[in-house]
Parts: sequence; C-alpha cells; structure tokens
Amino acid sequence: MLEVRDLVAGYGGSEVLHGVSLRLGDGECVAVLGPNGHGKTTFLRAVSGLVPLAAGTVELDGEPISDRRPDEIAAAGVVHIPQGDMLFPEMTVLENLVMGAYVKRAWRERQRKLDRAYELFPWLSKRKDQLARSLSGGERRMLAIARGLMADARVLLIDEPSLGLAPVTTEQIYASIRGIKESGLPILLADENANHLQGLADRVYLLETGMFVREAPADRLLADEALLAAYLG
Amino acid sequence: MSEFIQSAYSGVLYGSVYGLMALGLTVIWGAMRLLNLAHGSLYLVGGYVGWTVVNRLSMPVEAAVPVSIAGAAIAGLLMYGFFLRPLVGRPGWDSATLITTVGVGIALEAGALLVYGPQVKDFPSLISGSFIYEKVLITYQGLLVMAVAAVCLLSVSTYMRMSRRGMAIRAVSQDVDAAKLMGIPIDTTFAIVIALSAGLAGLAGVLLSSTFYLSPTSGFTPMILAVVVTILGGLGSIKGTVVAAYSIGLIESFVNVYAGPSWGLPVLFGTMIVVLTLRPNGLFGVGEVRRL
Repeated sequence: MLEVRDLVAGYGGSEVLHGVSLRLGDGECVAVLGPNGHGKTTFLRAVSGLVPLAAGTVELDGEPISDRRPDEIAAAGVVHIPQGDMLFPEMTVLENLVMGAYVKRAWRERQRKLDRAYELFPWLSKRKDQLARSLSGGERRMLAIARGLMADARVLLIDEPSLGLAPVTTEQIYASIRGIKESGLPILLADENANHLQGLADRVYLLETGMFVREAPADRLLADEALLAAYLG
Repeated sequence: MSEFIQSAYSGVLYGSVYGLMALGLTVIWGAMRLLNLAHGSLYLVGGYVGWTVVNRLSMPVEAAVPVSIAGAAIAGLLMYGFFLRPLVGRPGWDSATLITTVGVGIALEAGALLVYGPQVKDFPSLISGSFIYEKVLITYQGLLVMAVAAVCLLSVSTYMRMSRRGMAIRAVSQDVDAAKLMGIPIDTTFAIVIALSAGLAGLAGVLLSSTFYLSPTSGFTPMILAVVVTILGGLGSIKGTVVAAYSIGLIESFVNVYAGPSWGLPVLFGTMIVVLTLRPNGLFGVGEVRRL
C-alpha cells in the first residue's frame, strides 16, 4: 500500500531523518513510536510532501508519489491529520469539514460524507455553524479527524492524536481511531505513548534520533517493557 | 433637502467605486498577503482596452465591458506568471513582490502614455440620460455603476462563502499548509484570485472611464482610496471592505457638500487615524494569521 524507502529529510540544512524505510500494508495500522523531537512529525510531513525529501522515495500502491506536490499527494489519497490540528480558524465547523472534501471525487459525495462525520461525532452537527477557533482542544482534535475522513483517503496519517488532551478525551479519540481501523482504512500513526497503541497497532517502528531502531509486531514490542523503558524513558 | 440628497447620491456612487476597487485588493491580500500596488494600473488596462474597443474597433460601448474585464484579468495573470510566481514562498518574498507590483504598475502606466499619449480620453456613457430629483442631477450611468458594484460585492462574497474554489481561497488565506493537505493547489488558487481581482479592477476602469474620463494617471487616485478602504475595513475582510467603502464614500461626499471640498481628504484620513488607533487591524480585521 504505502512504501517508504531510505527517506532522508530535514529543515534548512539540518537533517532530521537519516534514511528511514517503512511499509504499510492493506488494512494495517502501523505506529511510529518515539520520544518528542526525534522526527515523528517530520516523517509524516515528509510522506505528505510538506517537508521536501533530500533522498529516498515514497510509493503508494507501487506509484512513486514523492516527486509530487503536497496537494497532489493528498489528492492521490494520502490524507494527513496533522499535529496541532491546523484547522481553518475563521471558518465554521461545517466549512472545515467541507474543505476536507475539496478534491473533486470527494466533493461530489460530500453530503454522504458529512452524514458519516456527524455519526462519528454527533456534536459536530449541532455546532456546525460555530467558528473553529472557538472550539476546545478536544473538540478541535475531533474536528481535525472528522475533516480528514471527509477526503477519499486510501491511507490515513495521524500525528500524535492525544497531544495535549485530557485522559477522557484521549480515550474517546483512540476509540474513534480504532473504529476507522475496523473500517479497513490503513493508518500510519505517530505516537509517543506505547499504552495508546495496545489493541490498535499491528506493527510498531521505534524511532530514535531520526532512525528506525526496531520494527516488530505490536504485541511483541509493546510487551517488552525493558525495551520501551530504554527508548521512551 | 437637496444638499442631503446630493451628498447621499454622490456618497453611494463613490462608495460603489471604492468598493469595486478595494474588493480586488482585499481578496489578494487575504489569500496571498500581497499588497498589489499595480491595482491602479490594472484599472487603466480596463479603461484603455475599453476605449480601444469603442474608438478603434468601433464596437458598441456595451461590448467594451466584458473585453475590458478579460483584458485586465489577462494582464493580471501575466504579471503573476512572469513576475510574482517565481518569488512567492522565497525568503523575503513579501517585500520583493510588493516592489514588483510597483514596477509593473509604473511600466503599465508608462505603456499607456506611450501608446495613447497624455491627452484625456473621452468615452461614451454606457447608458445616457438623467433626471432631476429635488434639484439633484441623477444620471442613469451613476445608478448603473451603483447597481453593478452592489452585484459584484454580493456575488464575490457569495462565491467566497459557497463555492468550492471560493472557500478554498479562504482556506489558503487561513492556513497554507493545511490547505495543501486538503488537496488544494496553491498555485491555481493564487491564479484565480489574481484573475478575479484584476477583472474587478478592469471593470472599475471601464465603468469609471465612461462615467468620468481616462488618462494615464487616472488609476492612481482610485487605488490609493482603495488602499485606505481596505486598511480601514480590515485587510482581507470582504465585509469590512464593503462597510468601509460606503462609509468613506458617504463621509467624503457629506463633508464635501456641507464643509467644502477642501475638507474631504483631511476628514477622511483623520477618520482613518482614529479608527486604526482604536482598532489596529481595521473595522473587521482579524489578528495576523500565519504566513506562507
């Protein structure tokens, strides 16, 4: 489905990722686990084209996409729910959702997709005319996820969905991600907390200082407390 | 009574003109954070294309309107494609593009001077005829300008709120990276914004040239007033632009009639200073959002 080979990327001359490779199969949920500041966000931004690659390739179903612009990568079906939500603050909840379906194929289906988003988070429909900037942190995160689902995603990238949220909200967010996984959509998830990945991730890549130091099935890796303590502290 | 009607009529007429010009400036600022100082020259393009269509090609004056809009839109797109696009996103691009638009503006003005000469050109009105109401001369042309401006302001604001592309313009103005992640092509969106804005300037150019007159420098004053309107309304806000355009038009014209024409501009700029002191982002401006 998604294949990343020897990806090198960074910001303005300082290299963050030093040649990382990753595979995401059909219907799979793969997690990139690592402490803050080791390149998780850069990795997802490089896959979706927001950070240019210095070397390496990204393929979607065998098609190279790493030479495309971010909007073309999104249109091809790599949908990125970014860190910090990046909502359109001066647009309403409804307008934010509808922008998620900007690509023509999704636009034609936007009513059906809206109904599905309202089913996932019912409060969205009650407050659809509220400006995004007036939402709480948890609400913003839910809207960001719902907006990502408005697109015709073939792969979903989710960056630290629990960042800065209260435990109750965090549980609600991961429940919704488990629901997305059950629908069969492949998910690439960046996280810094191994506990969140229990019962969700199929495989886990451990990221340390811009390198994948381990790759293992989730149940095995997440059970290895000594290893996790060594890497995540 | 007739003084009041005279003031109201000219005020709404000025407001319509300022609104048309300022709308184009504000959509570009909103989407690209670019102050297009070639806007007055795109107005000139509209005017001279219209004049050429009527006087050289001997076509009816109604035909001049669509041709002028298209001419100005094409000029705007050429400016974007050749001069602005290579700069956008580079370090220091905001001042670089600002200076570029000044250069393009001067070049277009000089071009108009070379091709058409410094003489003031006359233009037939789109509609002739007038009537007198309470001793005030009201022309059909003036009413037409008001109606066209109102329709444009309404349709552009509807386009930005309702249509897929229009909403994408707002999305780009609020968060460029998020817009990219939605699959919105930034380059195409910028091109649409430029064409829309330049087309509006062209429309203002042909309408006003046929209401007043046309010369190589006649784009300057409408542009400066449009800049004032845009800043006062809150850069990037369409609602603010509309409110500010009609307010400034009415203030200017009431002051002209009741206090004398020499007071028009001082009161205008005084108002601007007061408003900006109280609300630095303009009447409907939102705080500075993230740049490209």
